[in-house]
Amino acid sequence: MTSGQPSAPYSIPSQRDPLVGVALLGIAAVYVRALAFTPIEARQGAAQKIMYIHATSAFIALYVAFVLMAVASALYLWLKDEKLDRVAESAAEVGLCFTTVVLATGPIWGKTIWGAWWTWDARLTATLFLWFIILAYLLLRGAVEERGRRARYSAVLGILASFLVPFIHLSVYLFRTLHPMPILLKPSAPSLPNEMLVTFLFSFAAFTLLFIALLRLRYRIATLRDYVDDREAERA
Amino acid sequence: MTPDNASYTTAAYTLAAIVYLAYVLSLKLRLRRLRARALALEASERPRSERAAGA
Repeated sequence: MTSGQPSAPYSIPSQRDPLVGVALLGIAAVYVRALAFTPIEARQGAAQKIMYIHATSAFIALYVAFVLMAVASALYLWLKDEKLDRVAESAAEVGLCFTTVVLATGPIWGKTIWGAWWTWDARLTATLFLWFIILAYLLLRGAVEERGRRARYSAVLGILASFLVPFIHLSVYLFRTLHPMPILLKPSAPSLPNEMLVTFLFSFAAFTLLFIALLRLRYRIATLRDYVDDREAERA
Repeated sequence: MTPDNASYTTAAYTLAAIVYLAYVLSLKLRLRRLRARALALEASERPRSERAAGA
């Protein structure tokens, strides 16, 4: 097992992180553009604007955070570098936050379109299962004390959890589902008017920046935690 | 006719903001707590290393 101690000399990170502030300002700008300067869709009404936070959060959680978690976990099992374990841990937790937003905003949108807060269709159910598995992944990390074993167990669980991602993506094609088909991630051109597409892409950029900022902050916490644990273990 | 459902949009945007801001806050608090522990460790080790250097 590699040493958990970050490569010396390790400097304790400062409390300030301008990237998080910039990312939050970007999200605020998305709110203003989406709510005040983007046209209302004629059939769905204002509720269609939920897409700009729901779909972008889902995209980043599924295709960025959990894919990163799986790749970092696989690389950890191969290289046994604890930095990769920290990346996987950070991506999982930030991805869980984004998935929480997906599961919180989806039913509100669903209520206006389907007349029901929740339906047990394939995509919604699989996303909920993934949320529970990632929660279990984080609980597992808290339950196993020995660092090497914790990293191995969680790497395996992280890789297994990521198998749900392609299933969730394809679920709208494989099953009869109320969830709409993709309007952007599909072989043909996006089926959104230009103004809405610009808002969506702007939202996607802002949420990607937020993901990077949160991942970076969470990674710093994981590194500092391991540093403190090692120093305390040395003293004991 | 376009349905009037703006209150649902407001609820969704508010909920998303609460989740993201709460998470940012939790990260900041965790970083602050860990920083305090790390600084306390360094401060308690400094006199020991200074004593060792003096001896």
